Amino acid sequence: MLWCYIIFIYIYFLKIELSQSFQLVQMSNKKYPEFISWFLNKPKTTGFITFLFLSYVVGFLVYQQYQLIKEDEQREMNSILQIVNQNLEQSLKNCYTTTLTLALTINDKGVPENFDYVGKKLIESNNNISAVQLVPNGVIKYIYPLKNNEAAINLNILAAPHLKGEALKSVASQKMYFAGPLKLKQGGMGIVGRFPVFQNNKFWGFSAVIIKFNTLLKSSGINTVDDSKYYFQFSKKNPVTKKEIFYLPNKSDFSKKYHISTTIPDGDWKLYLISKHPNYFYAQILIPGIIGLILAALFGILIYTLLKIPEELQSLVNIQATKLFNSEIKFEAIFDQAAVGIAHIDSFTGNFIEINNQYCKLLGYSQQEMKERSFQSITHPGDLKEDLMNLEKLRDGKIAAYSMEKRCYTKSGAIVWINLTVSPLFKKGKKVTTHISIVEDISLKKEAQKLIKKSETRFKSLFEDSPIPLWEEDFSKVKNYLQKLNLVNETPETVSLYLKMHPDVVHECIALVKIIDVNTMCLHLHKVRTKEELISGLSQIIDKDSIADFTKQLIAITQGKKQLIIDTKIKNKEGEYRNVNLRWNVIRGYEKTLDRIIVSTEDITDRKLSENIILKSQQRIESLINTIDGIVWECDAKTFSFNFISQKAEKILGYNAEEWLASKTFWADHIHPEDRKWTLDYCTLKTKENLNYDFEYRMVAKNGAVVWLRAIVNVISENGQAFSLRGIMIDITTTKEAEKDLNDSFNLVTEQNKRLLNFSYIVSHNLRSHTSNIASIMAIIESSESEEEKDEMIQLLKSVSNSLNETMIHLNEVINIRTNIGLVSESLNLQQYLETVQRVLSEQINSKDVSISTIMPDNVMVNYNPAYLESILYNIISNSIRYSHPERKPIIKIKWLMENDMNVLQISDNGIGIDLVKNADKIFGMYKTFSNNSDSKGIGLFITKNQIDAMGGNITVESEPNLGTTFKIYIQ
Amino acid sequence: MTKKTIWVIDDDPIYQIIINKIIQRSEMFSTITTFKNGKEAIDALHDTILYKLDNTEVLPDIILLDINMPIMDGWEFMEKMGLIKSKFSKQIIVYIVSSSIAAEDKNKSKTYSDILGYLSKPVTISDLVLIASDN
Repeated sequence: MLWCYIIFIYIYFLKIELSQSFQLVQMSNKKYPEFISWFLNKPKTTGFITFLFLSYVVGFLVYQQYQLIKEDEQREMNSILQIVNQNLEQSLKNCYTTTLTLALTINDKGVPENFDYVGKKLIESNNNISAVQLVPNGVIKYIYPLKNNEAAINLNILAAPHLKGEALKSVASQKMYFAGPLKLKQGGMGIVGRFPVFQNNKFWGFSAVIIKFNTLLKSSGINTVDDSKYYFQFSKKNPVTKKEIFYLPNKSDFSKKYHISTTIPDGDWKLYLISKHPNYFYAQILIPGIIGLILAALFGILIYTLLKIPEELQSLVNIQATKLFNSEIKFEAIFDQAAVGIAHIDSFTGNFIEINNQYCKLLGYSQQEMKERSFQSITHPGDLKEDLMNLEKLRDGKIAAYSMEKRCYTKSGAIVWINLTVSPLFKKGKKVTTHISIVEDISLKKEAQKLIKKSETRFKSLFEDSPIPLWEEDFSKVKNYLQKLNLVNETPETVSLYLKMHPDVVHECIALVKIIDVNTMCLHLHKVRTKEELISGLSQIIDKDSIADFTKQLIAITQGKKQLIIDTKIKNKEGEYRNVNLRWNVIRGYEKTLDRIIVSTEDITDRKLSENIILKSQQRIESLINTIDGIVWECDAKTFSFNFISQKAEKILGYNAEEWLASKTFWADHIHPEDRKWTLDYCTLKTKENLNYDFEYRMVAKNGAVVWLRAIVNVISENGQAFSLRGIMIDITTTKEAEKDLNDSFNLVTEQNKRLLNFSYIVSHNLRSHTSNIASIMAIIESSESEEEKDEMIQLLKSVSNSLNETMIHLNEVINIRTNIGLVSESLNLQQYLETVQRVLSEQINSKDVSISTIMPDNVMVNYNPAYLESILYNIISNSIRYSHPERKPIIKIKWLMENDMNVLQISDNGIGIDLVKNADKIFGMYKTFSNNSDSKGIGLFITKNQIDAMGGNITVESEPNLGTTFKIYIQ
Repeated sequence: MTKKTIWVIDDDPIYQIIINKIIQRSEMFSTITTFKNGKEAIDALHDTILYKLDNTEVLPDIILLDINMPIMDGWEFMEKMGLIKSKFSKQIIVYIVSSSIAAEDKNKSKTYSDILGYLSKPVTISDLVLIASDN
């Protein structure tokens, strides 16, 4: 770091030199006017412009050259063509003369005279002509020489389709016209010049000459022309098709070639002169053109290259300048913003020449203040001597640089520790006049060092004075050894197995553990006097019995664990075994190497002893609890969540302790549903009162059985607040059942007693009313004086005797019912019985117009005594009819329904009703009647009730006076 | 000594015939009126109050009252009569005459101030003479 700073300092002092040269480059740029420098700055453009300019010049020159050559050529060709043309025209003119002459042979009658003679002469005078003709009215009549030309005689040219057009043309223009070249009837190609002859302004016919085409050409001089350079072509537009037809050889298309032409109107011909070398002109100008272009391009590139050089130089300079500029900024930033203090110091006086902010800040002075000081004035006297000695050596060139830690005074007089690095500013060889000193605040480091030293001391004393035996051990060799054996990161099972198979490895490992230090407690534990006795090795401490525990440490190492806690045993020097809690901890920072391990071996022998005692007493209590014939338990006072339940729970309720404790609401959930609410409410209330309590309730066992329990609860409270409940649940199911049986039989007896009493009362009352009547009658008879009265009394006695008899029968009946004599139950169809009763009562039903509706499923079967069933139905339905309301139509409704698991036969009427407020206790009594009805005996309902009771059922009544009565018969 | 009027309230027709004989034999009462139940008797009392201003002649001096009767029993009759007795021009004395020998009924009769005695059936002439002469 510091060296970096020094390098920057050098750069800083070198920068001046560089920046000067940079400025020179900058100035050289300014000498040209702006217009030129524009070009100079754009070499590419300038090069290109040069190239364009030169190309243009070359192009111009070449073009001029081309024009000159072309003109020469044209001139030559024109003159050739001109000559040929003239020759041709001359030949044709001669022909004209010939035809004219021939025409003159025609006399006024239109007949030629001396044709053969004139013809002969004409042909002789004109070599070109091969034959002459006279064609009166378009029909060839005269030919000279006739020889070889016979074929043409009598040919009507105005009728022949290929001759007609041209012939008519010449008639129309009244001029001579040369037809052809065409194939002659006589053979070969020829031209026929036809001169239309008019006599008295009337077309007579033609005077014609035939010129052999070849002869014509020969006479034109075509053949004399230099055929290495040019050739001719002769063409005519077909008068019919308007297509141009060429007649000379070499008919290849010459439109691309250079050519000139002239037209011969006499035959509508076109004569072409064609240059044989089409690219001749281009060849003439191509090479100089190309050379010119190349030169232009080269020159353009040259200019570009020339201009490019200064620009490249310029950009190089710019890059360098930017770099320099950047480093300068960087340097300034580093110098000013550096986290270390940097100063430029006079090597002789020690004065500060330049100093950065950090340096000033370090000492609390301003830059100005620092510059007025020397380093000697701020250095602590204790360090000054060393500093000055070092500086002298530096000045003499004995050392290249030095570095030291020293103390400095700040402006406020405080001492700061700094790390000073001093180096000369200029290179070797030169004398040192200034140097650079870099200072770093190391007060914090010094402080930290102090703290480390302190904490080290503290650690040592903690280690030494710890009440727990501590070992500082080095397991690095063990780890290396295990690594070599490839045991690291194997599965614990593999390692364990390997170590079991190789006890020598374990012993080797024990030997490899290096004990660095032990504390005083270790000495006490192992009953040794000096640390050396323990430090010499683990092997003497580890007993056969504790090898297994050491193996656990080895496994932990292979698994990369940093901590291991095990209970193990050691044997001290006196041969006494001690239980220790061994904690094996890797010190942070040594996880990889295991150089430093702290092992604590707390002596837990006494603790183990007490633990054993506690365990034994717990076991004793548990076995005691389990012998109690009841469930011993403990639960939370607020939530009733159980935290202990004795084994008896399983025997009594079928649920074992695990099942019970698994759910927090197990107890509440398994209370009998009918007891749950009050049990929980009662427990909550009593617990709140902080009083011990006991109560009886039911729980539902695993097999669904209901178990009666007596709970005896002890409230355990702390600070008056109940926090826990303990107690015992005793199975009282058998007691409860016995109690219930007892209660049931007691109730039965009470009921029977009551009935008996009631019966005896009935008997005495009903019999007494008769006996008293008898007694009274007897008394009257005895004292009667008239026979008449006696007879009257005897009659009365008779009726009393009848009543008595009737009463006796009733009583007998009731007794029979009560004693269940001859009571046989059968499965009976209820519907059928209802019908039977209605049939018996049909007379009353009809006379009172009673409507009876029955709502019940078909085939309802009841297990009943047939006589009772009939009697019950008869009594109730006849009652309903008897006590029907006089003002309305009697309606009886019979329903079959279920109520609380009991079958109910409900019979309702809309009769007069009974005031139950007054008569509730009498309605089913004997001889209780409620109306003036003379046939009310007060026995029907009494018997009905007794019969229903005897069948194990019950009867209830609901009634409103004037509205109606409803009886409900409960059938088992 | 003027003869007294007596009402018998009982649902037993045989007893009615017998008591009529006995009352006649005793020659202690001027008129005998019988009722089948409490309701008939109380209706008669109502009628007496409604239609006769001077009811001394019609109202009975003594009532022989049965307990167990249909429609309105002896006890209810007593309740009803208690409500209207202030309108009577003279005191009416009631004797319970019942075949019941239950102590329960006997004790209950003592709670009514208008009930002077409890007679168990059969009623004899001497009983009636005693009743008549007592008042």
